Amino acid sequence: MMLGIATETATAATLTDAVPARISMRDLEFFYGANRALKGINLDLPERQITGMIGPSGCGKSTLLRVLNRMYDLYPGQRATGQVWMDGVNILDDGIELNYLRSRVGMVFQKPTPFAMSIYNNIAFGVRLHESLGKAAMDERVEWSLTRAALWDEAKDRLNSSALGLSGGQQQRLCIARTIAVRPEVILFDEPTSALDPISTLKIEELLDELKKDFTIAIVTHNMQQAARCADQVAFFYLGELVEVGAAAQIFTAPTQKRTQEYITGRFG
Amino acid sequence: MARTLRSRRRQFTNIAALGASTLATVFGLFWLVWILLTTVINGYQALNLKLITQMTPPPGSDGGLLNAIAGSGIMIAVAVLLGAPIGIMAGTHLAEFGKKNALAELIRFVNDILLSAPSIVIGLFVYELVVRQSGHFSGWAGAVSLGFILLPVVVRTTDETMRLVPTQLREAALALGAPKWKMTLSVLYPAARTGILTGLLLGVARISGETAPLLFTALNNQYWSADLAEPMANIPVVIFQFALAPYDAWHALAWAGALLMTMFVLIVSVGARFLLRERNG
Amino acid sequence: MPGPPARLPPDHLPPDHPADLTRKAVRAMSPPATATAMTAPTAQPARRARGAAGDALFRAAALFAALFVLISLSAAALSMLYGGLPALMKFGLGFLYHVAWNPVRQDFGAAVPIYGTLLSSALAMLIAVPVSFGIAIFLTEVSPRRLRGPIAAAIELLAGIPSIIYGMWGLFVFVPYMSDHIEPWLTDHLGDLPLLGALFQGPPLGIGMLTAGIILGVMIIPFISSVMRDVFALVPPSLREAAFALGATRWEVVSGVVLPYTRTAVVGGIFLGLGRALGETMAVTFVLGNAHELSASLLMPGNSIAAAIANEFTEADSDIYLSSLIALGFLLFVVTFIVLAAAKIMLLRLARNEGN
Repeated sequence: MMLGIATETATAATLTDAVPARISMRDLEFFYGANRALKGINLDLPERQITGMIGPSGCGKSTLLRVLNRMYDLYPGQRATGQVWMDGVNILDDGIELNYLRSRVGMVFQKPTPFAMSIYNNIAFGVRLHESLGKAAMDERVEWSLTRAALWDEAKDRLNSSALGLSGGQQQRLCIARTIAVRPEVILFDEPTSALDPISTLKIEELLDELKKDFTIAIVTHNMQQAARCADQVAFFYLGELVEVGAAAQIFTAPTQKRTQEYITGRFG
Repeated sequence: MARTLRSRRRQFTNIAALGASTLATVFGLFWLVWILLTTVINGYQALNLKLITQMTPPPGSDGGLLNAIAGSGIMIAVAVLLGAPIGIMAGTHLAEFGKKNALAELIRFVNDILLSAPSIVIGLFVYELVVRQSGHFSGWAGAVSLGFILLPVVVRTTDETMRLVPTQLREAALALGAPKWKMTLSVLYPAARTGILTGLLLGVARISGETAPLLFTALNNQYWSADLAEPMANIPVVIFQFALAPYDAWHALAWAGALLMTMFVLIVSVGARFLLRERNG
Repeated sequence: MPGPPARLPPDHLPPDHPADLTRKAVRAMSPPATATAMTAPTAQPARRARGAAGDALFRAAALFAALFVLISLSAAALSMLYGGLPALMKFGLGFLYHVAWNPVRQDFGAAVPIYGTLLSSALAMLIAVPVSFGIAIFLTEVSPRRLRGPIAAAIELLAGIPSIIYGMWGLFVFVPYMSDHIEPWLTDHLGDLPLLGALFQGPPLGIGMLTAGIILGVMIIPFISSVMRDVFALVPPSLREAAFALGATRWEVVSGVVLPYTRTAVVGGIFLGLGRALGETMAVTFVLGNAHELSASLLMPGNSIAAAIANEFTEADSDIYLSSLIALGFLLFVVTFIVLAAAKIMLLRLARNEGN
């Protein structure tokens, strides 16, 4: 099959990069009931790099993200087949402990999701799930994660006030801080800036660049400029298939697939 | 290693908490089954034709519940006739004319409180209002107090269902030149029919089981009486008096009355919910 | 062709202009009956006027009905205050804490019924709150989707059972069970404890505070659990997902995110149940024992405000006796009003947040 071959080639191209893969998907398929939403995905997330996932609405890119932390397990009738390898373990296996998996693969959502508690407790909530820290260590962790999320200066004087009082952009950075406070290895961003103004968006894009020093990142975005600005590797999805994946520069300047070209030049989507 | 220990403990807490929630549900259902089962068994043993052919007996002897069934039926019907029109009109005011103004919000607030207010308090109120004024207990007083209990149920469901009627329907009728009252009568009420009926049924279910407000309004009457100006027999008060008396024949009648009443209340309220589900598709 | 000039400009009234004033004037002058009898050119404004009159009438009727709800609540409060005034005047504030309740000496104090109402309601909350919380969690988090509807409906049936059935069932079935099995066990095992032991001493009559509290608790479970279930369902799915994404277990999501988010409304639901428990009459009247004595033991008979009224109202043989009972009713009304109003305000708060 043409498609299969195309995907193989594309994947092979990224694997030749010297960077080891943090997560490797092989023959990944996903079903909403009887409806197949992802078809034979083979994709690697290179360690400490940003993989941008682009494609028109409904192409499966967000679905893919929700496979990587098994978020779909919350809903009956949704299932994934194939393999997703992380540290030699297939995270799709039944025996996988989801809470532990999710502490290693964090997620930031489209809309900010601050919990109805103080800024401090929003951060501490996730940490307390997995570690018992003393007061001092917890303070340190909160400061560390807020600093990494570029929110410390704005939040340090109001740690005990409600997180709901923050602006939208600040809330989203709080959610990023909350996610990194758990010290995951991989962070999934599901259109993290689609609900934000341009200035907040810029802040978060700068943040991504900073975060990739420590974390492997996958980001789903509708915004191609965002993918071009932030991502090292870009994967283009269409109708549940991975059409093409490669270095960002290559995808945006010399796509090998016709549909990729059409999409990035704005012919559809 | 520490991590697995910790996560094992978390998993254990999780399972224990969710298990406890399951037990809580079983606990709730256990009482339902126990109470319904005893009522059905004891009531069934006491069922016979005399229930609907004979009057409530004097102490210690046999008899039926005919006058009490009739009395309850009459008072419930009168309560509906009194409470439903006022309730529907009040609901109409809230949904159509009041909308979000302060008075309407206040009335909604007060109505919701009336909805949960102790029914014995309504009984005392009607005692002061009707019994003390007229000088004697009466079927009217009983029906009025049941009407006061029905009222908030009807107000609330009417308000809620009428607000669900799409605005376009209103505008379509008004655009034809219909005055607002006509639009309400011929377009809104038919559209909200099921909801309003559900409210009425829920209200009837509620008042059919009410005892406290009848104790000192309708009181009771050992004999047949269809005269609303006289004290009137009714199922709940008969159950109350017979259950607390020391005669086995009376206990049997109390159980039979309890079964009839419970079945009626449950069938009406389940029917009302069923109607509602039909409407919601 | 004496045909009416049907196509003439409709009326002599300016169609829109300061129409309202004019129409009001027309309405006042020409009653609908005459208006219809008029000839065609005037038929149009007459019709409009009738529509307007109908509207005004309808609107007034609706407003009156709505005000009736308001008035009836105030009238209920005032009439009971009026009925209870003689007793309140005679006994003063002492009515609230005076222990005696003596019809023969015409000496009435509400301390015993107040104590009984508060104690039996407290016992009921002790049972109903955790159980309702569990049921709400089960229905939103644990139960398979297709069982949720039926189980929720079954729990709500508990609210459909008339309270006199609880009372009668309590008297004939539950009281003997308590006196044969539960209460002797409690006295044997807990009766000798220091301090707490006093709660479980006395003959195992079956009738008493504990039995009433348990039955009350079961009765209010459906009210509290359905509020909790409804507000849990209002938690945005994104919030729950965010907590799961941090690696929280189901229970940690409920206790750490769902509960804080719905806190106010959950307390509102609990208050709603409390309001019900305080005013519940028939269920407790059967099993409380109608004893006007204070006793430390939960196994001893007692009284409550509602039960005292239900038991004694038709037997009250003096004006001051009757007035004391009505004063009790007034007290009950005020307390439940405050509790229910608080519940309502707390529930509205979550709804308002949702709206924003």
